[in-house]
Amino acid sequence: MKKIYTTLFVLCLVLGSALPVCKAADYDFKELTPEIKKALSNRQTRYAQIQALKREGVIGENNKGYVSDLKKDTTSTTLTAAENRDRRIIYENLAIQNKLGSTGLLEVQRAFAEVQRDKAGAGDMVQTPSGDWEKK
Amino acid sequence: MKAMPKIVVLFLALIALAGCTVKAVGDPNRPITINANVVVDIRGLKQTANNIEDMVAQGGAK
Repeated sequence: MKKIYTTLFVLCLVLGSALPVCKAADYDFKELTPEIKKALSNRQTRYAQIQALKREGVIGENNKGYVSDLKKDTTSTTLTAAENRDRRIIYENLAIQNKLGSTGLLEVQRAFAEVQRDKAGAGDMVQTPSGDWEKK
Repeated sequence: MKAMPKIVVLFLALIALAGCTVKAVGDPNRPITINANVVVDIRGLKQTANNIEDMVAQGGAK
């Protein structure tokens, strides 16, 4: 009987420690502040413009989770700055609200950069983790 | 002790240990810095990033 209890206890310990490995951690906004809502809404509003500039090769997704202005024209520079400001708000709040520590912002930026690379359309300019720009 | 299995004693000891308050004694003018390691699950972050970017794209496509 004692052996069964011990086995069950060890089994629970093993399963308990394996659970976080099996299930991806759930990071999300714990509180949707007006600042975050505004940043998300701004991004939705300019989404079509950003996509158009990407297709034209004027801007590209860099390896830090932001858009880079590749042609440096006035319209794209203003749009890029506004988009990056809103992205920064989203990234910072994710890192802070999920208590990701001192390197949290970098990790968030890296994750978003990867997702942006994956989502980029054919012909869009993307920056690889090593820093090279390439056409997807 | 025989009536209480060792495993229960161990469990109670763990709870007692976890509930202990640790008081640091030292010079308040020279605070110590403890660097805690936070493990970030990249898979979870990518999932969140995916969800947010999908939401932005869907909202933008309206």
